[in-house]
Amino acid sequence: MRFVFTSAVKDLRRIRRDPVMLLTWLGIPTLIALLLVVIFGRGDARPNGKLLIVDEDQGIGATLLAGAFSQGALSNMISIEKVDREEGRRRINKGNASALLVIPKNFTTALLEGKPAKLQLIRNPAQRILPDIIEQVLSMLTDSAFYLQMVAGPQLREAAQGTPTDAGIAQISVQFNHAIADLRKYLAPPVIQLETKVIEGKTDKPGGFAALMLPGMLYMAVFFIAGGLATDVWRERTSGALRRVVTTPASFGAFLGGKLLAVLLVLALVGAFGLAVAHFLADLRVSNFPLAVLWIAISGTGLYLFMMLLQSLASTERVANMLSNFVLLPLTMLGGSFFPFDLMPKGFAQIGRLTPNGWSVTELQKILDGAAVSPVAFAAVILFVAAAWLVVGWRVRRTAC
Amino acid sequence: MIEVEQLRKQYGDITAVKDVTFTAQPGEIFGLLGPNGAGKTTTIGCISSLLTPTAGHIRVMGHDVVRDGVAARRSIGVVPQEIALYDDLSARENLGYWGGAQGLRGALLRDRITEVLELTGLLDRAKEPIKRFSGGMKRRLNFACGIVHQPKVLLLDEPTVGVDPQSRVRLLELVRDQAHAGACVLYTTHYMEEAQTLCDRLAIIDHGSIIAQGTLAELRSLLAERDLLRLTGVFRPDAVREALSHLEGVEIIQSDETQLALSVSDASHRLPSLFAAINTAGEVRGTTLTQPSLESLFIKLTGKELRE
Repeated sequence: MRFVFTSAVKDLRRIRRDPVMLLTWLGIPTLIALLLVVIFGRGDARPNGKLLIVDEDQGIGATLLAGAFSQGALSNMISIEKVDREEGRRRINKGNASALLVIPKNFTTALLEGKPAKLQLIRNPAQRILPDIIEQVLSMLTDSAFYLQMVAGPQLREAAQGTPTDAGIAQISVQFNHAIADLRKYLAPPVIQLETKVIEGKTDKPGGFAALMLPGMLYMAVFFIAGGLATDVWRERTSGALRRVVTTPASFGAFLGGKLLAVLLVLALVGAFGLAVAHFLADLRVSNFPLAVLWIAISGTGLYLFMMLLQSLASTERVANMLSNFVLLPLTMLGGSFFPFDLMPKGFAQIGRLTPNGWSVTELQKILDGAAVSPVAFAAVILFVAAAWLVVGWRVRRTAC
Repeated sequence: MIEVEQLRKQYGDITAVKDVTFTAQPGEIFGLLGPNGAGKTTTIGCISSLLTPTAGHIRVMGHDVVRDGVAARRSIGVVPQEIALYDDLSARENLGYWGGAQGLRGALLRDRITEVLELTGLLDRAKEPIKRFSGGMKRRLNFACGIVHQPKVLLLDEPTVGVDPQSRVRLLELVRDQAHAGACVLYTTHYMEEAQTLCDRLAIIDHGSIIAQGTLAELRSLLAERDLLRLTGVFRPDAVREALSHLEGVEIIQSDETQLALSVSDASHRLPSLFAAINTAGEVRGTTLTQPSLESLFIKLTGKELRE
């Protein structure tokens, strides 16, 4: 057991003696976080567009229409500004807004009386997403207005003719109720129920795109570090150090255990550093910092053993490096390091989450979001580490001799 | 003490070591002499538990290396052919690591590290990363790592390969010191002069088999005090055999169209008659006369030079 620590100290010393390598490892997550922040901004970064409205109607219909863009999530993306027709034209031609909406005279009257009305939307051709959103919202609103006319047209027209009396309101209410009752079989069919589901952590996740990318990017760094450390076994093999270990009374398992302990500590350091950088630079929410670091270290050690296993299967160092790259690059791409799972096609995301690194990223994301610790995940990793430790120990000892 | 009985190591159809038997005593330097690929490193590999023997028995200080490997390895110190050290660690850190692997701890380990650093002349460079060391210094440290735990059995696998003459002399002195201190030393080499000057007893190994063993005097006696006469030129082997068959005390060791090796008693006085006989069967262009030595014994036993 003592030799485990002796072996770990030896490896930590060797890592410390190579400051360029150490700085590269710590630099990878820092650089990635910085780049993401520079490209996508901090957590409050969202698409922001402007809708210019020319209100020639000045009625309640135009007010309701404009107000629809000031509600809920839309208000975070689209700001509205009322302008006259000339200024609106000038600004949209200069590309200073996402779209220009012209609400014509008598729009409200036409809406209430069920007459045709024409809204004019001029899009900024230089933008694609925001004008699309505005057009979709507007289309939904006009559809809603149509159905409202179908359901309660007479009542609305009556109300629009003047201030109704209490009796009038009661009469309208009764008529409205009858109309709804007639439509109930379509509006609320008993066999169809609407189920509303709120997905935790999705609605209010801070950090924006950079935070979305960072766990995957962090694991890319962890994977590369694990791969880099795994190649060290070739240096020890070439120098004859592995063979020399076999000739001592110390067990080879303890020798490998020391390497695992050193890797665990290095990955814990890199994980802590990476999470801290991501938290302060990219506004990544870290609900349980120690647990997240522990997870990165343990799952990263699993990845290290996985890479060691690949190294031990190869006949030469060159073949080992080719094999590692052959496995490492596709896995990082599939495992959510290059593209977050949320942005990947569903099928690819499902496969990616099953990869060792992809699964680790998913579990880390849960920990970062404050989800309860998954003992099954920890047990699975520890079991894998134990099994891989035995297999790698056997393979490496065999190839050493 | 090392006891090797009928050791055999096979890799598929290839037999690397074939029925090797020898015993090395405490305080003795036992040499395994043979060319590259003769089976020396395989034999050391089996003794040090690196390799599992296919057949035979090996005991180190009474412990069977297969059945009681850990106990056997506690007595063993290995100095491998390669520089099995960590380049980015200092000499002291390397010794600390390998001493730790041998079970040394605390003050005892620290004291031993200082002792072996002093012994190998590396104390003043103890804190430097060894990647700055010369080849000879690394060899000495490699040796120091093998003796840091004061092993009762020391296995040295060609420890002087690629070493400058000064470091070689120093290393050989260190090996002698270990034997004088009571260690049983097994020393493999393909350098004749090293084996002659260092080893108390020797085994000559070729193609995986021991072809002769004993003290240097015992091995020399196998040559019957005959000199080795090597001739180059143009020869007709059958005619040479015929011409020399009439001379007493002459034995043909090697004969082909360009080379002739003869074992001859009192060769220096018989050169004129030898040349007269050989010139009837060819033309002599070069001559080398060697006094009885391990080299001449090796050629006599194997029919070839050691460096082949």
